[in-house]
Amino acid sequence: MSPKRSDQLPPPAQSSSPSAGAAGRTDARAPEHHDPAPSRWPGLSSLKANAWVPLAIVLLVPLAAFVESDVVGRYNARIVTLIGYNVILAVSLQLINGVSGQFSLGHVGFMAVGAYLAAYPAKTYANNFADPAAVLLFYLALGVVVGIMGAVLYGLLRLAGLFKRVHRSLPGVALLVLIIWFAVDISRAASATDAGLAVPKWCVWSHGMGGLQDLFDAIQAHGASAAAAISGHLPAAIAGPVCFIVLLIGAGCCAAGAGFVVGLPALRLRGDYLAIATLGMAEIIRISIMNSRPLGGALGLTGIPRYTNLVWLYGCVVLTVLFVWRVTYSARGRVIMAVREDEIAASAVGINTTRQKVTAFVFGAFFAGVAGALFALNEYSITPTRFTLDRSIEVVVMVTLGGLGSITGAVLAAIVLTILPEALRSVAEYRMIIYSSLLIVIMLARPQGLMGTRELPSPKALFGRWWGSRKGVTA
Amino acid sequence: MGGLVAMHVSRRFGGLSALSDFSLKVGMGELVGLIGPNGAGKTTAFNVITGVYPPSAGQIFLDGRRIDGQSVEWINRGGIARTFQNIRLFGSLSVLDNVTVGFSRSGELGLTKTLLRAPRFYREHDKTTARGMALLETLGLADSAGMVARNLPYGDQRRLEIARALATGPKILLLDEPAAGMNPQEKVELMKLIRFIRDQFHVGIWLIEHDMKLVMSICERITVLDHGETIAVGTPEEVQNNPEVIEAYLGEPV
Repeated sequence: MSPKRSDQLPPPAQSSSPSAGAAGRTDARAPEHHDPAPSRWPGLSSLKANAWVPLAIVLLVPLAAFVESDVVGRYNARIVTLIGYNVILAVSLQLINGVSGQFSLGHVGFMAVGAYLAAYPAKTYANNFADPAAVLLFYLALGVVVGIMGAVLYGLLRLAGLFKRVHRSLPGVALLVLIIWFAVDISRAASATDAGLAVPKWCVWSHGMGGLQDLFDAIQAHGASAAAAISGHLPAAIAGPVCFIVLLIGAGCCAAGAGFVVGLPALRLRGDYLAIATLGMAEIIRISIMNSRPLGGALGLTGIPRYTNLVWLYGCVVLTVLFVWRVTYSARGRVIMAVREDEIAASAVGINTTRQKVTAFVFGAFFAGVAGALFALNEYSITPTRFTLDRSIEVVVMVTLGGLGSITGAVLAAIVLTILPEALRSVAEYRMIIYSSLLIVIMLARPQGLMGTRELPSPKALFGRWWGSRKGVTA
Repeated sequence: MGGLVAMHVSRRFGGLSALSDFSLKVGMGELVGLIGPNGAGKTTAFNVITGVYPPSAGQIFLDGRRIDGQSVEWINRGGIARTFQNIRLFGSLSVLDNVTVGFSRSGELGLTKTLLRAPRFYREHDKTTARGMALLETLGLADSAGMVARNLPYGDQRRLEIARALATGPKILLLDEPAAGMNPQEKVELMKLIRFIRDQFHVGIWLIEHDMKLVMSICERITVLDHGETIAVGTPEEVQNNPEVIEAYLGEPV
């Protein structure tokens, strides 16, 4: 039994003081007599599948270029495109549903945010992908405006927090809102330009929002010439890709921001309640877009310039998988999984559970936004009907069928579930019956999903035998 | 003032006073017990100290620093770790991962480090793994490091929970019924283990236990709770002979 081992132990006396700081503690308990090859020990992060990345880039991207060149026909190329979107969506949702264990039904909401907030600047400001600075300016202006709005809301909430309990703080908050209301109104009434407006003067929100709109327009107007000048300095060959990358990252960040705003309150809920909250959130996003005139309303945005091609798409697929993989199989991933396993125990070992959950949610939302941007910049037109609940459920099915927690499973299921309905087209009206029966059969045969929680082993582990590797296969 | 000090801590749930005027001192290297009949408020006392519930009144200090009203994770980082009455392991993670989660601090979790995977990432990973293995070896769990935690035998699960708590580098370790569901042989081993941890890690240990033999033989001081009230404090002999304690356990004297 353990106490007998005491003579072999290093004295851990100093190490048990947490105030010594992380650096001082790092190797405090690592004994000298230990085997110096610790990575042979099983553990999450000993999964190192890095070698797949160069392999994937070497194989996938030329393959994408090949398919793009229309050798396989438009129809097949279209399926390959759909697989690309679905892999990004499924893998990013795996981070939320599988790794952090927070069941979200609202993934397509973030995709919609990404799609619209890439399509709109691409159409309005990008000047056919020649003006990346103007697009950047759009995102900055949006960021400033949303930031101000957020800061005001945060201030109100903090003030409410000062009163400890909500019902006691309500009078304080109400008073504050009234003060702001009056202040804004008086200043607006004082400026003569507003005199002719039909909007009621007492409506603080319309004025507040109007002010933000003005601010946004002002930033755009003042920055336009500077942006054009900056973009003018870029060689034409670079301007296109730069503009596209700015759009992807900008749309991703917008979706991530939406994920943050939604996640912070919603992630306090668990299980079914969270699923319903995220579902509602996705609907709110869709219906907001439907009622937004600049975003085209129910008719959608048309005439979006196209830039996405399969090479870009599969480049993003590789990056998404790499990102999610590295986050999952790292110390951070371990912490996120600990929260999934048991929140109470996780906080008892010093993990800020809300923070980890929101982090996973924001990362997932980011890539959903990127997928949305890739989608919008490929389709010429987008409508809100492309972002309904069905689409969310489709992605959830991929994640669950692939195996909750397995990135390989998500990729596999995304591929299978995109091809399957297409392959079944020959049986026409029986198509969806066979499709859904197959889903049921698969889930009955493998309730844990295709892959369970297992992953693709590293290439060395798979082919080590043939490579004659002398070292441990998991290294 | 070293160690954990609770002063006149109370906790009410609506009209129910689950814990009232509770005071306690656990110094580094001390072994202190908390006993009482079912529903006496023992676990509530643990939950209040570890920040699950903020106290309704009173103050809690760790090494002279006030900790009451802070979040659970903050208090853990401050140096109080606990186990749970009903084992709460990270079931589908490996035994080793259960322990290494406890090492995680923000420095290790940096996003750029995680994404770029420079050699430093692997060095830190190896270091964490080695520390985790060393700790598992200390507690005699090294052989099952790769097992999924929920497949461990019961006694080992209890031990893994203690290992995980120790991984966070506590000054004070709170054990909630560590011997629950153990057979006599396992209890003897557990007693050895608790003493061993106290000596090796120089932590103060505060434990809730129903097994009187275990509590009386290893604890230096014991607090007895009944209906949220502290009815006795003292050495095992003093507590054993205290009429109020006997009454609480056996009912009214005839």
